[in-house]
Amino acid sequence: MLYLKELKKVMCSFFYILFAGALAVALYSQGALYFGDSRMNRPEPGGNYGVVNREIPEMIMPAALESLWQEFCENNYKTYPIGFIKNVRLDEKKQRMVAEIIAEITGEDTEAILGKQAAFEGTGDDGYSFNIGEELQMDSDGNLIFSGARDGSEEEGKDTGEEGLTIAVRDDMEYGKFAEAMQRVDDILGGGSDYCAEHLKSYGTVEVTYEEAVQRHELAVSRDRITGGYARLFSDYAVAMVMSLLPVFPAVILCLKDRRARMAELIYTREVSAARLTVVRYFALVTAAMLPVLLLSYVSNASVWGLYSGERLDYLAPLKYDLGWIMPGVMMATAVGMFLTELTGTPIAVAVQGFWWLIDINMGFRSVESGYALFRLAPRHNAGEKSFFRTQDYVDNFQRLVANRLLFAGLSAVLIIATILIYERKRRGSLDGGSKIKRALSVLGNRKNKLEG
Amino acid sequence: MNETIEITGLNKFYGKKQALRDVSLTIGQGMFGLLGRNGAGKTTLMKTLATLLPKKDGEITICGISVEKRKEIRRIIGYLPQEFSVYPSMSVAEAMNYLGILSGLNGRERKERTQSLLNRVNLTEHSHKKVKALSGGMKRRLGIAQALLNDPRVLIVDEPTAGLDPEERVRFRNLLSEVAEDRIVLLSTHIVGDIEATCENVAILDRGRVIYNGAVEELLTAAQGKVFTKTVDRNELSGLKKELVITGMHTQGKRACVRFLSENHLPGAELCEPNMEDAYMLYLKESGADMSQENAGIGGETECCI
Repeated sequence: MLYLKELKKVMCSFFYILFAGALAVALYSQGALYFGDSRMNRPEPGGNYGVVNREIPEMIMPAALESLWQEFCENNYKTYPIGFIKNVRLDEKKQRMVAEIIAEITGEDTEAILGKQAAFEGTGDDGYSFNIGEELQMDSDGNLIFSGARDGSEEEGKDTGEEGLTIAVRDDMEYGKFAEAMQRVDDILGGGSDYCAEHLKSYGTVEVTYEEAVQRHELAVSRDRITGGYARLFSDYAVAMVMSLLPVFPAVILCLKDRRARMAELIYTREVSAARLTVVRYFALVTAAMLPVLLLSYVSNASVWGLYSGERLDYLAPLKYDLGWIMPGVMMATAVGMFLTELTGTPIAVAVQGFWWLIDINMGFRSVESGYALFRLAPRHNAGEKSFFRTQDYVDNFQRLVANRLLFAGLSAVLIIATILIYERKRRGSLDGGSKIKRALSVLGNRKNKLEG
Repeated sequence: MNETIEITGLNKFYGKKQALRDVSLTIGQGMFGLLGRNGAGKTTLMKTLATLLPKKDGEITICGISVEKRKEIRRIIGYLPQEFSVYPSMSVAEAMNYLGILSGLNGRERKERTQSLLNRVNLTEHSHKKVKALSGGMKRRLGIAQALLNDPRVLIVDEPTAGLDPEERVRFRNLLSEVAEDRIVLLSTHIVGDIEATCENVAILDRGRVIYNGAVEELLTAAQGKVFTKTVDRNELSGLKKELVITGMHTQGKRACVRFLSENHLPGAELCEPNMEDAYMLYLKESGADMSQENAGIGGETECCI
């Protein structure tokens, strides 16, 4: 009964209508509410089936080295430490360390490498045969060739007095050692570059063959029973766009409601235990947040049912993904909202959750694995159109996803236990964090006024 | 069954400030008044009894149960806080139902008690009205009804009549007196008239200390022979205020009829029957309280009309 009362309190409010509206608008804007024009067809021979990244050492090593050499010469490295692009410029000492790694990979002399880089950086577009933006010159084995010759001054490839330099992976370089060397480059850059072990695979881009495309299709039909792929796509948009953030709002509003209505003391003196009241409110909030998700996920999924008449579809797929993928994020945002609001008596949880969400979504997912990283608030899977094909990636990373979702569900349970303890202490009058924080803010405000005065 | 509140050596601090000093009281069944100026410690004492504040030291038992056993205490108390309020968008009946759930009542109990209590506080016809649409007096009556939902053995009522019009105040006092027939009702107020009209026993708090604990009648008896009236010129008033504790005044043109406390029969003054306000002011004076007009104001209708 208390559960229904609390649920009604949450759902019969203006803010809840705003919440549900924002959810619908966000999903609609991403095209996640209608997939009726995205039929997954069986691949036809001779078609284009997209590309895939694979761990192919003979492809990855020269491509990664080429990229590193280019960035080394420019001393301008692109990294994505928390999702946002960051251009890194290294000091002399660290450039030398990178040069040593290039030397280790190529077998060339570190000083010669540094000399080439200095010449390049000193003159910018200096007339050497290697210019930024130009097609790099390669020999028949795919190695970069630097002659040291100036355009038009002498015949290309001939000695001009400087030692020639070949930037190519040593023949005896093992892939494991190469990956380890590249990881060191990533460490020097502060992380987040494509040279880290996890992202190195991005240099191994190959086209998907017809046979692979058929296999992929068959996996989606057998494992996902088609609708699972669409449900996954919906879940991906839902957690990333809104459901890792918006549930914090109803939680904050509900927890502030007693204080705003000046009936906190009235409730404190009731027989109901802090644990029961907090847990019931938590479940009511999670239910209220999940109801529109459940509804919209079925609206979205049902839009494709007509496209696959005669196929064996999984009509419970939206429910499974809603509960397994989306709900732990909702639980986490709700728990953060309840915990911080009860602790501080302020809506600071909105800012905290908002900041966390912003960082999380901007981490992007530059590799499949990073989308399923353990500490990601919003696990990501899908990328691009018709990405529901990527059933194999889902299968491969399923355990990581489960670990991630269990972690967040567990963390939210811990926060709710902490909320119960805080509520009980406030109820006994032995904690009033809100007034302490407000006092601190007012002291800061007075200071500022004095300074301005 | 033990139907008393026993408070022994209670102390309470807010940081370094001591709000209650060695308070000891025994409160039996019926209406018990807690009187004192604003900031005297009444609300602190009420909140401590209602399990809303921890005590520093001392002992409190309510109907034989230590106040430390909060869950059991919450089961037997009803509380009407000083600033009573409920979610404004709830109807009267919904609010009663919700608070009944929080009090652990089952569906049948909630229904029966809500009907009976709303009837008792004369709110039955307003049961579907939103709380935000109720007048101040109606809200206070709803406050009493919700505090009685769990049929408490002890009802704690903090400043319930502040801000009510005279008619509502009288109605509210009568309601409290009815309720007190079969339980302890602890009424905290700074309005002396409320105590005089409803309580048999009273405790006066001043700066956290109990300066009187006993029957209202005895308090009045103690003031016998110490309350006088005198008619003076208005220009003599300022001098009188400095010399005497004035408990009432009525002005007519250039003359003023002054009611005051004095140990001696002053020339031209007439001895009169003390009322509760006189007795209260006398106690404050004798306990060494600051009796300047600014500080001695006891609020509401008892303030001197100077």
